[in-house]
Amino acid sequence: MRFAHLSDIHLGFQKHEALQKIEQQVFEKIFDQCIARKVDFILIPGDLFHVNIPEMRVQKFAFAKFRQIYDAEIPVYVVYGSHDFSPVSNSVIDLLAEVGYITKVTKATSSDDGKIKLDFLVDKKTGVKIAGLSGLKVGKDREYYEKLDSSSLEAELGFKIFLFHGGISEMKTESGMEGEHMPLSLLPRYFDYYAGGHMHKFNAQKFDDHPNVVYPGTPFAGYHSDLEDNAKGQKRGFVIVEFEDKIKSIEFIEIENTRIADSVNKELQDKIRDVDPTQQVIIIKVQGEMTKGKTADVDISAIRDELNLKGALVVNINKNQLTSKEYSITEAKGANKEEIEINVFSENIGQLRFEQKNLVGEPGVQLAKKLLAGFVQQKLENEKNADYNARIKKNAFGILGLDTDAS
Amino acid sequence: MEEIAIVGQVVGGKFGDIVIRQKAGSNLEIGDLMVSEENGSILILQVFALEYGSQIQDKMQQMMSGVNLEQGIVDAQFYEPEFVNYVLARIKPLARVYRESGDVKIPKSLPSFFNKLRLITSNDLNFLHKEKDSIFVGYIRSGSKVIKEAEVWLPSEDVFSHHVLIPATTGRGKSNLVKTILWHVLDSNKVGALVLDAHDEYFGRQGVGLKDHPRARENLVYYTPSNPPAGANRLTVNLQSVKPEHFEGIVDFSDAQFQAIRSYYWKQRDTWLTTLMLTAPEAAEDRIASITMSVIQRKMRLILGLVKDEEGHLVSKHEVFDSATKGFTTVDDIVKDIEQGKVVVLDTSRLGDEAELIVGNIIATKLFEKYKAYKATGELARKPVATVVIEEAPRVIGVDVLTTKNDNIYSTIAKEGRKFKVGLTAITQLSSVIPRSILANMNTKIILGNEMKQEREAIISSASQDLSEDDKNIASLDKGEAIITSIFVPFAMPIKIPLFEDIVKEKGILAQTGKTKVF
Repeated sequence: MRFAHLSDIHLGFQKHEALQKIEQQVFEKIFDQCIARKVDFILIPGDLFHVNIPEMRVQKFAFAKFRQIYDAEIPVYVVYGSHDFSPVSNSVIDLLAEVGYITKVTKATSSDDGKIKLDFLVDKKTGVKIAGLSGLKVGKDREYYEKLDSSSLEAELGFKIFLFHGGISEMKTESGMEGEHMPLSLLPRYFDYYAGGHMHKFNAQKFDDHPNVVYPGTPFAGYHSDLEDNAKGQKRGFVIVEFEDKIKSIEFIEIENTRIADSVNKELQDKIRDVDPTQQVIIIKVQGEMTKGKTADVDISAIRDELNLKGALVVNINKNQLTSKEYSITEAKGANKEEIEINVFSENIGQLRFEQKNLVGEPGVQLAKKLLAGFVQQKLENEKNADYNARIKKNAFGILGLDTDAS
Repeated sequence: MEEIAIVGQVVGGKFGDIVIRQKAGSNLEIGDLMVSEENGSILILQVFALEYGSQIQDKMQQMMSGVNLEQGIVDAQFYEPEFVNYVLARIKPLARVYRESGDVKIPKSLPSFFNKLRLITSNDLNFLHKEKDSIFVGYIRSGSKVIKEAEVWLPSEDVFSHHVLIPATTGRGKSNLVKTILWHVLDSNKVGALVLDAHDEYFGRQGVGLKDHPRARENLVYYTPSNPPAGANRLTVNLQSVKPEHFEGIVDFSDAQFQAIRSYYWKQRDTWLTTLMLTAPEAAEDRIASITMSVIQRKMRLILGLVKDEEGHLVSKHEVFDSATKGFTTVDDIVKDIEQGKVVVLDTSRLGDEAELIVGNIIATKLFEKYKAYKATGELARKPVATVVIEEAPRVIGVDVLTTKNDNIYSTIAKEGRKFKVGLTAITQLSSVIPRSILANMNTKIILGNEMKQEREAIISSASQDLSEDDKNIASLDKGEAIITSIFVPFAMPIKIPLFEDIVKEKGILAQTGKTKVF
C-alpha cells in the first residue's frame, strides 16, 4: 500500500503569468503522478491554497484536477494551513470538502476543562487511522497542542497518521528559518507517520516516540525566498510512502520547476514560429522573473535576426520587465548612508561573475562606490541635458578607466 | 512584627563596635536589626555579638553559684537580678535613613550616647520599594524574625550584568534561592538566562518548578536530552556546532593532541569531529602519530559519549550530540531565545561534567560573540542583559583551572562580560578557590550559610560591604537565611528567602477552564 504526501502548494501565490503557469503545471504533475503510481490516498497538511479564497482562475483549475483525482477514486485528506485557514469555514477548502473531493481531517471536540479531544477517521480502503490539527494564524497552534488530549490518541492501536501544519524546532535545518516553531514534544506520540506542512523544504527525520516526521516542502514556491532557493538548485516535489503494518519506505519524488534562460529562449522561438512577420512591425515584450541565470542569457538578437530574415519591417523587443532572482539585490544595514552603500555593494558583489578582477571583490566594491558618487552629481545651473549627460558619461568612463574616444 | 519597644541603650564602644545594654526581657539575637532615632534621621544598627554584663564582680558571682550548687540552698538569688545582671550586645551601624528625603547613606557617625534603641519595624524600611524590572530575593530578616512587609528587590539588569555569586554549602537552600530568582526573571524580558541545570531541578519535571510560572509559555524554554515532556525541547547539538576552542580550558589535551584536533578542523571544517572519530588511528592525516589519534578518540568518546553504531555512524550515548541530521539550529535557537530575554534551562543531568561544560561553552561562546558584535554595531542597548547560571563554578573559574589551562568562555565572561551586558551567576560551595580578581568582579553575593571558615573568609574579604564582623553571623545562617552584599544595596541585607513552593502556590498558573474553540 502507498500514499502520497504533499503540502504548501500555495496555489494562487504567483503574480506573473509565467510563474502562475509553472505553479499550475507543478500541481498537475504531482496529481498525475499520484494517479499513475496508483496511490491509495493523498495527504495535504495545509496551505494547498495561498489564501482561503483564491481568484477564480485558481479555483477553476484546482477543481478540475481534484475532480480527476475523485474520478480515480483516490481520497484526499486535508487540514487547513496557516494561509488557507478560515475560522468560519469560509475557505475554498470547505467548498472542495462540501462537494466531496477532499475530506477535512480535524474532528475535534472541546471539554469543559478546555482540553481538545481529536477523533480518528479511518480510510475505508486501507484501514489507516488518520487524525490531525489545522494550522492557525498568528502562532495560536502551540496553545492548541498544549490543550490536546494526547493520551487518547496515543492509546489508539493500528497504523496511525497524524496531519499537522506548523514548524517543529527539532526539524529546523538552518538557523535563518524564521517564524514560530514548536517543540516536537507537543505532537502526540506513537503515530506511525507524521505528515507535516508549513516548512518549505523536504525533511524527513526519525525520533524515539515520533518515528517518521516528514515535511515534503513546497513543490514550487509559497514565499519569494523559495524562488531564490529554486534558483540555487533546491529540489522540490512530494513524498510517496510505502507501508503495510509499518512504514516500509519514504521516497521523495522530485518535480522540475525552474525557469531559466534556455526555456525562455525556447518559448520565444516557439511563439515566432507561427508568425508571418513579412512587412509587419513586430513588438515583443518579455516579462517575468527567471529563477536562474542572467537576463542577458535570453538571446534577443537571435529572435530579432530570425524575424528580420523573414522580412519584418521593424522588430522591437523589450525585456525591461524581465528580471532574474539570481540578481536580486540584498538589502544591508549600516550606521550612515555611506556605510549602507558599501554594505549593499559588499553584500551583492558576490553574485557577479566577471573575469576582470577590478570588477569583483573589494576592488569591485570600491569601483561601484566611485561610480555611484559620479552618478549622483546634480545638473549644474544652466547646464544643458546633453552636456550633463556627456559630463556624467565621461566621468563614469574615467572611473572605469575606459577611453571615451574608443567607445 | 509591629512591636515598638525599647530593647536597649547605648552605653559605650566605638564606631563599628558599639556596646548597648539589653533591656531585661528583650532577648536580642545575633543579626537583630535595631533603630536609633536621631535628629531628622534614623540609624539602622545590627547585633553582631552578645555577652553577659554584671555589676557584681566575677568572684562574687562564682561564690554565689558555689553556695547554690554545693550547699543545697536553692533559693539564693541576686537582689534586683535584672538590674545587676544583664546582656551586652555589640552592634554596628548599617545605614542612616533620612526621614524627609528617604535617602539611605552609609553612616559615618555614632548614635547619640545613652540613646535608647528599639527593634526595626517595616516603617523604617520604606525605602525598600520595588523598582520596575527588579527581582525579588526575599524578606528583610532581623535575627530570626522575618519582616514580611519589607521585601528586597534587586535591579535585575544591573545585578546580572555585574555578575552574581551564590556561595553556600549543601542543604542551605541554594536551589530554592536560584529558583526564586529565576521565577522573578521570568516576569519580564529584561534578562535572558542560560541555566545549566546539572540536577534537572529547576524546570519542575516532577513537582513544582519554573514551568508553573504564569509566563512560562512565553519566557521559559526547557531542553532535555530524552523524553521531553509536552512542550519541552529535545537537547540535541549537532557535532558541526562543536569547534576545537570549545574544549579549551575544560579538557586536558596535550599540545600535540590539540594540534592534531586543529589540523582536522582546518581541513574538514564542519565535519572535522565526525571525520576524526571515524578515521582509523593508523590512517590519521598530516603524519599525526597513531597513538596521539587513539588518545584523542578515547578522550572524545569519554567526554562526549560518542560511539560508532553498527552502520558506522557516530552516535552519542546520552543522545545530546548528533552527527547526522539533527540539532543544526539548537545553539542558534537557544541564543536567540536568550536574546529575547527568555530563560533557557538545559537539563544536563545526564551529561558528564566536561560534556555539560562543553555544551554550555558552545552556547555561551556564541552568545558572547553576538553580544560583542552588537556592541560594535550599536545594537547592544536594545538587547536584554544575559546571564549564564552555572553550578560548581570552580570547575571553570577555579584557580587551578585558570592557571593550568587556557581561559575558557566562563572566565572570559567573568572578566570582561560586563562591558557587553553578559554576566555570570556562579553557584559554589568553594569560594576560596576562585581567584580574588574574579571574586571582586562579582558585585552581588547572596551568601547562604557556610560552616567552613576558609570559605567564609574568602567571601567576607571580597564582599561589597564590610562584613568583617559577620563571620559568626554567616556561620549561623539557617536554611533559607542569607545576607546580600552588593553594590546595588545600601547595606549588607539580612534576608529570609521564601519557600519556592509557597511562591508557586501564591502566584503560579491557575488551572484553565472553559471550552476551546477548535477549527
